[in-house]
Amino acid sequence: MKILLAEDDFASRKFMDKQLSQYGECDVMVDGEEAVDAFMMALDDGEPYDLACLDVMMPVMDGYQVLKAIRDIETQKGIPKSERVKVIMTTALNDERNVKMAFELGCEAYAGKPIDMEKFEKVLKKLELI
Amino acid sequence: MAEEFNTDSMLSMFLYESYQGLEKLEGIVLEKQDADCFDDSDINEIFRIMHTIKGSSAVLMYENIKTASHKLEDVFYYLRESHPEDVPHMELVEKVLAVSDFITGELDKIKAGSEPDGDEKKLVEDLDQFLGELKGEIKKQGIRLPKANKQEEPTQFYITPVAEDDSHFYRIVIHYRSDTQMSNIRAYSATYALKEVAEDLLYTPEDILSNESSGDSILAEGFHMLLQTKASKDEVMELIDSSEAETIDFDEINKTEYGKALTEFGREAPPIVINLDDDKGAAKDDKQQAPIAPGDYVVKSKETGKGKTLAKNQPKQQAVISVNVEKMDALMDMIGELVIAEATVLQNPDLKVPGLDLTNFQKAAAQLAKNTTELQDVIMSMRMMPLTNVFQKMRRIVFDTSRKLGKDIDFEVIGENTEVDKNIIEHISDPLMHLVRNSVDHGIEENSDIRQANGKKAKGKITLEAKNEGGKVYISVKDDGKGLNKEKLYNKALENGLIGDKLMSDFTEKEIFKFITLPGFSTKEVVTEYSGRGVGMDVVVKNIQSIGGRLEIDSVEGQGSEMTLVIPLTLAIISGIVIQVGEAPFVIEMASIKEFISVSEDALIQEPSGEEYLVLRGDCFPFIRLCEKYDLPGAKTKLEDGIVVVVEHEGKQICVLIDKILQEQEIVVKPIPSYVKKVKGLSGCTQLGDGSIALILDVGGLMIEEERR
Repeated sequence: MKILLAEDDFASRKFMDKQLSQYGECDVMVDGEEAVDAFMMALDDGEPYDLACLDVMMPVMDGYQVLKAIRDIETQKGIPKSERVKVIMTTALNDERNVKMAFELGCEAYAGKPIDMEKFEKVLKKLELI
Repeated sequence: MAEEFNTDSMLSMFLYESYQGLEKLEGIVLEKQDADCFDDSDINEIFRIMHTIKGSSAVLMYENIKTASHKLEDVFYYLRESHPEDVPHMELVEKVLAVSDFITGELDKIKAGSEPDGDEKKLVEDLDQFLGELKGEIKKQGIRLPKANKQEEPTQFYITPVAEDDSHFYRIVIHYRSDTQMSNIRAYSATYALKEVAEDLLYTPEDILSNESSGDSILAEGFHMLLQTKASKDEVMELIDSSEAETIDFDEINKTEYGKALTEFGREAPPIVINLDDDKGAAKDDKQQAPIAPGDYVVKSKETGKGKTLAKNQPKQQAVISVNVEKMDALMDMIGELVIAEATVLQNPDLKVPGLDLTNFQKAAAQLAKNTTELQDVIMSMRMMPLTNVFQKMRRIVFDTSRKLGKDIDFEVIGENTEVDKNIIEHISDPLMHLVRNSVDHGIEENSDIRQANGKKAKGKITLEAKNEGGKVYISVKDDGKGLNKEKLYNKALENGLIGDKLMSDFTEKEIFKFITLPGFSTKEVVTEYSGRGVGMDVVVKNIQSIGGRLEIDSVEGQGSEMTLVIPLTLAIISGIVIQVGEAPFVIEMASIKEFISVSEDALIQEPSGEEYLVLRGDCFPFIRLCEKYDLPGAKTKLEDGIVVVVEHEGKQICVLIDKILQEQEIVVKPIPSYVKKVKGLSGCTQLGDGSIALILDVGGLMIEEERR
């Protein structure tokens, strides 16, 4: 599985990278814009990501913008719903409003930090990624 | 409060919604328990509630809640679609309550921070069987079975963060030896090492790497760090390289201090939201806030050493805020102090100098008095909550208990919107539960034949009523059952050695009823699951007394009993009369004073034992001289010189001799400090206008003293 990880905080990035690498190849980005670029690049190369883990508070573009951009690009390219990248937001911003907005923007899961990896894995199973 | 700090807002939303839903569900079910079936709107509502809970528990991945609620949803789906007749209503009611209990139990676990691990299998099996029968019935009635309730697996999930309550907060100051080279690099390596375990780390000076001169200030003032971590003190100490350090100050601090310290470090303290009424606060707030949008959380490019700042400042507009209860209590205390301070000013001895023109002062004083009174009213209203929730619980208790005991009971609730102080609500729930159970178990007759023979309706009736009158709240539990048998009560008390060898005629009716509140008393020969163990009523009374209330018992044999809790509306401020005995001022609560009277020596009867009685208008009352009781020199001893106060408590009256009446005043009750030996007959103390301390007479306590003599 191909994973995109966008996270600007070094400690979290290291932790998530280590965790996610068990499931597949993990590309690590440090801001929102990079994440969108990486997503585009992977699409163009014909090797799209299966999973994207997005932090919310990031420089240049925040996680919600990235999520929106990703879904817009997918819609524009006519990618069917079943083939869209699965997006998990990973953030300490877990206000109900934030979560609702993220769900409306079309993320698959919303993980509050610090992340419960057991549940995280359960979600990966439910999303049929592993 | 600590755990609530970390409560995830999604989670509390889920809990709040689910609890609300279940509460509503129970309300519907219990209201319709006696009907033959649920009507369409009920079925829709229950279906909707279960659907919501199923949906949100699936998103949060609470599988057992999801399965249980889904099954019940299924049942109601068939009811909604097929409208079968002859549904076993009572069985259905029980099923719904079983599911609701199960989910409530699991929610409680989640709220307490553990995993909901209850086993739903048995419940689901039961429901499956019920559903099977229901489907069979539907077919038999010739109604086409609807298409199976389509189950949509959720496509979106929420991963609740790991609980963080065990975080520690440390304030660390490292002082390096004065000859340490490159102390800024050492400081940096300390922060670097701590980042491994840190959930949050702040340090000052901030620019240790980019600014070489920061080393000097580190040497001069020490290197200050604030650390939030799960690691223990030892683990943290190990991570800090202490080779060049002279001293390391290491303090564990609590969250509040940490928040304060954060501000000192130049960061905005995290907003601490502690909800006043369980989870409701959070839910309400959120809807009031300005909408958010993608792009609100873009982080400004980082300046070295600074924490993250958002590019867009988030506007904060809240119409509702939730407040820490402790803060409310502190405010309440402050207002109490203010009332005292006000009295100190307005009754200042300096004002008594003859010849002063106080016209303007009096105007200003009136204004001040008005404002403090309003302030008191406002803080009181902030603390008020309706009794609705407590009463709702009672409905359930009556249902459960009466079903178990096979009694048919009508339960009526009056005045559930009556508001009382939040503190009081917490204290009356258990006593009230006891009273209600007692009424169902002991009050209402075992079978309806006996009732009908006595000319009553076959169905028993229990009324729960709350009302607000004259600064007190009256909550009564009334049943139309068999009532209390005085003889039985007396014999029982005699048997148990609770009353010595006094005769039945020594007691008034109310005193005999009171026996049931004595520890170790129970007239019920057989102990049932619900009551009759002899513990209970005394605990009820104790609980009620602890909040300054009392229990009144009224009963007519054969017609029923009424237990009334009389509770002060508020605990902190009472209105009272200040009196003087000798040099000492006392306060008597206004509500317990019957009258002030001037009596001549003739009315006094002295018993050889030294007990004294006063005869007033043909009635005889116990007589207490406060000056003797508390050894007060200089007090008036002749009845003609002093004033007699008749005070009443729980229907009994006694007379107290005092010197004079000083004034009427709002009294802020303060507990008597614990270093003063417990003095009988006093419930607290307060500060008067001239700064002196007055003791508050506890009329009930005085009477108990008097009876013992």
